[in-house]
Amino acid sequence: MNGVYIIKRLFTSVAAFCISVTIMFILLRLMPGDYITMYLETIYRYAPPDVVEAFNHVYGLDRPILEQYVLYLLDAFRGNWGYSLIYKVPVLTVIGEKLVWTMVILVPATALATLAGIGIGAYSGWKRGSKTDIALLNGMIFIRAIPSYWLALMILIIFAYYLNLFPLGGYVDTGALITGIDPLDVANHAVLPILTLFLFSVTGTYYLMRSSMLMTAGEDYIVTARAKGLDELTILRKHALKNAMLPMVTMITLECAGMITGSIFVETIFSWPGLGMLTYKALAVRDLPLLQGILLVDTLLVIAANIAADLIYPLVDPRVQVGDNG
Amino acid sequence: MAKRTVLAASIGIILAYCAVALLAPVIAPYDPHAITGAPLCPPDPEHLLGTNDLAQDIFSRLIWGTRATLLLGFIGAAVTVVIGTAVGIVSGYYGGMVDEAVMRLIDVAMTIPIFPLLLILTTFFRPGIYITAVLMGLLGSFQGVRVIRSQVLSLAVADFVTGTKALGAGDGYIMARHILPNVLPLAGVKFVISAQHFMLIGIGLGFLGIGDPSVVDWGQMINRASQNGAMILGLWWWLIPPGLAVTLISLALAWLGYACEDEINPRLRLMRV
Amino acid sequence: MNAALLEVRGLKVGFPTPDGLVRASDTVDLELYHREILGLIGETGSGKTVLGMAILRLLQPNTVIEGEIRYRGRDLLSLPEDEMRKVRGREIGVVLQNSGTSLNPVYTVGDQIAEAATLHQGLKGSEARHRAVELLDAVRIPDPAVMAREYPHRFSGGMRERALIAMALACSPSLLIADEPTKGLDAVTKREIIDLFAEVNRDRSVLFITHDIEAAATLATRVAVMYAGEIVEIGAAGEVLSDPAHPYTRGLLASLPERGMRPIPGSAPSLITPPPGCRFSPRCATKDCKSEHPGLVEVGPGHYARCMLYDRG
Repeated sequence: MNGVYIIKRLFTSVAAFCISVTIMFILLRLMPGDYITMYLETIYRYAPPDVVEAFNHVYGLDRPILEQYVLYLLDAFRGNWGYSLIYKVPVLTVIGEKLVWTMVILVPATALATLAGIGIGAYSGWKRGSKTDIALLNGMIFIRAIPSYWLALMILIIFAYYLNLFPLGGYVDTGALITGIDPLDVANHAVLPILTLFLFSVTGTYYLMRSSMLMTAGEDYIVTARAKGLDELTILRKHALKNAMLPMVTMITLECAGMITGSIFVETIFSWPGLGMLTYKALAVRDLPLLQGILLVDTLLVIAANIAADLIYPLVDPRVQVGDNG
Repeated sequence: MAKRTVLAASIGIILAYCAVALLAPVIAPYDPHAITGAPLCPPDPEHLLGTNDLAQDIFSRLIWGTRATLLLGFIGAAVTVVIGTAVGIVSGYYGGMVDEAVMRLIDVAMTIPIFPLLLILTTFFRPGIYITAVLMGLLGSFQGVRVIRSQVLSLAVADFVTGTKALGAGDGYIMARHILPNVLPLAGVKFVISAQHFMLIGIGLGFLGIGDPSVVDWGQMINRASQNGAMILGLWWWLIPPGLAVTLISLALAWLGYACEDEINPRLRLMRV
Repeated sequence: MNAALLEVRGLKVGFPTPDGLVRASDTVDLELYHREILGLIGETGSGKTVLGMAILRLLQPNTVIEGEIRYRGRDLLSLPEDEMRKVRGREIGVVLQNSGTSLNPVYTVGDQIAEAATLHQGLKGSEARHRAVELLDAVRIPDPAVMAREYPHRFSGGMRERALIAMALACSPSLLIADEPTKGLDAVTKREIIDLFAEVNRDRSVLFITHDIEAAATLATRVAVMYAGEIVEIGAAGEVLSDPAHPYTRGLLASLPERGMRPIPGSAPSLITPPPGCRFSPRCATKDCKSEHPGLVEVGPGHYARCMLYDRG
């Protein structure tokens, strides 16, 4: 284990988290008017000054701003992220519930896209310049250029509306109110969101894998393998693929941030009750505590993806010890 | 060559969009905000793409929407490329502590998911279209710095730079005269790719209902159409044209970006994320 | 001497580029006999490597190749690809240049050596691993059983070279093509690698491609000198290197550090549009032959040179 690297990663992660929290702290302070007054006014129509003061005292809002900031930061680390304005429950509770639903579509979509992107990209890069390669490359550039929200809408219109193959949105049929949630029913609702996220993600993985394979195909050890008398398929499978996949480990974590973006649009369009849909709802009513929570969770997801890459990389590349890939 | 045809078509499309944006007041038959007849008209000679629920002419709105799209894309990309190039050159050229500090900062910044942050800032400040574009450019510039810096790193130790240094040239002179011209092609590619990226994001903001309400943009048009049941009612002329318009310009920029990337260095890999 | 093991006839190799066809090898004729070491020398870019790679058909698919390459009487250039694969590694082994990048970084050295044995000799897991250790031992890798389980990045330059040699010898080929095996090695390691080749040569022929004239002088039975895609001189090593006939060979020898280190002025010509006459004439101090292209002429028993000094018709 490389100590310096671990410290760097730790520093980066903590700093990113703190900055996310700090941005939200500043935004909340910048809100026009007094938070408590506004809140009381929305509920009781008027806010008596003594009540406002009492609340300010209870919430520590009468303390010096620096002290407030430190308390705020500490609370963020403790998981005390406040209450959602619309749901009236702790932010973490709402997010935890929605995160599960996001994972239901995000995990299969990412897994499939990674596998397909790596497979097709490897083939395309290996057969560089061939008709198949050019056709695949052009097709992927085409799909990549379609905005994810438009892709989602078109898929919805074609497969759900005109062809009537899948439900128009939501995660269960209304019958679920009586019969309970049926996994098959959920899967049926999840097909189109997963397909959209898959298409959104597969192009990126494909493109990166193809570039990586282009590099690998020109390496000397590929000629060595050929000089041994190995056939092309074995060289591709055994010698080229593993090497070409090395840079992908880090790249795929970058795709993770892209998937968060994609899921906001996809869930909104398919009314999928996950984190993305929650983001849309929170934006519509300007539920800042909830938005803050979402930003923090998204940050944590990216951090987790980075740490995962740090741990996976040394397993696939014998030259690297944990933490050497900077 | 098919490749040349595609490239020419891409440039043609981009230029055509620019022309439409500039000439919007001349081409558009109606004021995009004006009530021009009955709401929800199907296409007819009066209204080429019908009218929306507010009885505004969709064709005119589509044309005016080109402006917002190009502004979002090009201003955002300009900000990203200028910051990315300037910081990338300084960081890569000086190296050492400067570079270390910049890289750590970028590591931190890239750990924060930019799109949700952009959504929050936009929701909170409700900025106009120009500020939105600049904001996107700023948030996107971290990646630009990375791309430019990695090329500057190899240039900074290249023989011609060492040679110029030996002649007693100042750092500013070397960066401006020797390093900048060498990273310009890469910066150009980054500009095209960023422009595409920011157009999609900017229109996406409109789609999520947090665009600048004072301008006509395709995202808000799609949002309004889908929110008001254009799909269920089968009003394709309301829903489809803005989506096709954004897809077409996005495709043209993607092709151009790819062709340029291929041209400047076939072995170069820009991370497209 | 008996029939040649390898016979190259009129070999032309061209690489298509946007500027024209690069003729990396132009009408090369060459024989390699049983158990001999043929040293192929020349500057970088003279076409030595291309010649070696052409024999095993390891050049890029769009390369234009003409002529004949006969190995034990069979023309390798007209073999179907799957037949050719049986020649590679089994009949003809190759040690590529750049030993640093020629080993696959994600597999252990032992696995990579065993792979060839598994492929051509049908050895199973433990047999193949055993064979790999044996081979590493044969190329004098210390502690071979342990080193076989190590990854290439743990090997020094000299050890990687040895590992590549072991890999090329895995199926005991009759011909070994070695491309710059002493490049970038320190004097001691270089000496050891040269000794290793002398040993390897006991059972097989070696095409030893190098720009290290000293190494060629020590090892080679015969020497061929290449310049701008052509063989300009060929003959017994002792004769060519002590009494060179071609001005280029003389220049090459004069540029050696121990002989005064006088480099040949000028640089090698374009391989797209080579000079019409003698390709060396722009740099030649002896004779100006801009119009006539000399053929290979016998200047002594088995000693040929491509120079107008000797080509009289």
